[in-house]
Amino acid sequence: MKKKTVHQIILHVMLLAALILVVLPMVYMVSTSLKPNGALYEYPPRFLPSTDEITLENYRYIMGEGKFYLNFLNSVVVSCACVVIAAAVAAALGYVLARFSFPGKGMLFGFIVLTMIIPGLTLIVPQYELAVKLKAINTLGGLIPFYVAWTIPYSTFMIKGFVEGIPRELDEATYMDGGSVFQVFGKIIVPLAKPGIASVSIFNFLTYWEEFPWANTVLNDNLKRTMPIAISGFFGQHQFTQWGYVFALSVFSLLPILIVFICCQRYFVAGLTTGSVKG
Amino acid sequence: MKTSRKSKLQIGILLLPGLLIFGIFTVYPIAKLFLMSFFEWDFGSMFDQQFIGLENYREVLSDEYFRTSFVNTLLYTLVTVPGQMVLGFLVAFLLNQITRFKIGYRVLYYLPVITSWVVASLVFKYVFNTEGLLNYFLVNVVHLAEENIHWLDTRWGGLTVSMLLGIWKGIGWNMVVFLAALQTVPKELYEAAAIDGAGAWKKLLHVTLPSIRGTVLFALVMLTIGGFNVFTSVKMITGGGPGHETDVVLTWMYHKAFSTGEFGYAAALSFIITVVLAILAVLQFRLMQRKEG
Repeated sequence: MKKKTVHQIILHVMLLAALILVVLPMVYMVSTSLKPNGALYEYPPRFLPSTDEITLENYRYIMGEGKFYLNFLNSVVVSCACVVIAAAVAAALGYVLARFSFPGKGMLFGFIVLTMIIPGLTLIVPQYELAVKLKAINTLGGLIPFYVAWTIPYSTFMIKGFVEGIPRELDEATYMDGGSVFQVFGKIIVPLAKPGIASVSIFNFLTYWEEFPWANTVLNDNLKRTMPIAISGFFGQHQFTQWGYVFALSVFSLLPILIVFICCQRYFVAGLTTGSVKG
Repeated sequence: MKTSRKSKLQIGILLLPGLLIFGIFTVYPIAKLFLMSFFEWDFGSMFDQQFIGLENYREVLSDEYFRTSFVNTLLYTLVTVPGQMVLGFLVAFLLNQITRFKIGYRVLYYLPVITSWVVASLVFKYVFNTEGLLNYFLVNVVHLAEENIHWLDTRWGGLTVSMLLGIWKGIGWNMVVFLAALQTVPKELYEAAAIDGAGAWKKLLHVTLPSIRGTVLFALVMLTIGGFNVFTSVKMITGGGPGHETDVVLTWMYHKAFSTGEFGYAAALSFIITVVLAILAVLQFRLMQRKEG
């Protein structure tokens, strides 16, 4: 028995030591956001602020004068709209792909898998050209169809897998009762595939929330920027980077993700491990 | 099951939104990308293009900057993929044996994964600043360096920081994926190995690793794709500098597209990367399958 306890203690010591290294950068980010701006160029640099200099001035600037809540709202609107649209579209696609055959199905599935391999950014040039043609440059609405399109392949692939796990007999029973394809989708598939749709949606939310290159290319109006662009906007604007503001805004931008993460932990794991554990 | 007309119509309606969005915003750009790569296609003159055959491809392949960025991408992938896999596996391996606080560890180790690339890159940029915390620690606390190291304005310094960030950010994902795999390894296999007198090391090599081969392959393919996708961290940390020495393929492509406006060049480059990545993915699958057989 004793040997087991020692073994456990050793394991915990190793895990804790590694954990400290892993979370150190995050702690430093938070501690820097709480330092007065003048302390950021001090030498020697200190990991933590002294207790009497801890201040919320950076946060006050972010919320007040800096008007960064506007960027926050932009991100919320874009991310939420995309999550809803992508979930609906991918659920419908996943259902049809899992249950029916139709002409061109093989090709569609091939394209879906192909686009999961291609780095998304390689399409930025033709997509930019398309955005110019559609007059979507510098509009928040312009982000939405592109974001949804990027996440459709993965979302569809995952939801298709979940739908395949739902017994077909349930569909058949609904058809027997005179139900239609729509009714099977609405009454059987969507309710039973909910955990799958939820975990896909969480991942999609993270993707939209942190997306940088596309938004950075398409949006140039300060007020229309999403959070990642607003954060990166601190560079080059002033001669000295205002690190206190940068990290206060960073912490602020991580809050929704943390909330989603803590509330939906089990969906996270489900989404990550589906498809990965095989033999 | 015969499909009635009404069913066909409803199937069509379910398919339509997805097909439209996917078709217009993904499939059409893929076709356009291929087309653009054969044209002299400049940002400023979008409607005045000239067919130049394979000229863009020749230009990309003979471009020294592209070669440097390609080498950097390969190095990044070769370092960060095994780095995250090994560290992530180790954490999972330890986590799998502990009896308490499992969820707490898992949540905390996963934090870097959900931290956005922009934020994570800036934290690293700040820590690795020439007058920053890490240099102070290395020079004045542990005396491992004589003077401040120029992490951010040299090629190897910049690449090192990007790689460390890539590994740091990937450990949590690998941990979750490997932990799930480890939990599926049947206990009887370990018991049988123990009866045969196998030690911890032998169990790992002959029981654990072969049992999770599928997961290793899955992680390898996903992470290789991820390695070639590296963009935001390099863009934020070094911006490709000094003199494009730390550019990776995507930051170089982005520079050519949006700084010098050579869309045709950028399209050809993008196409080359896609083909390379597709070949790599197929090779990795083949390799793993052969080991299995």
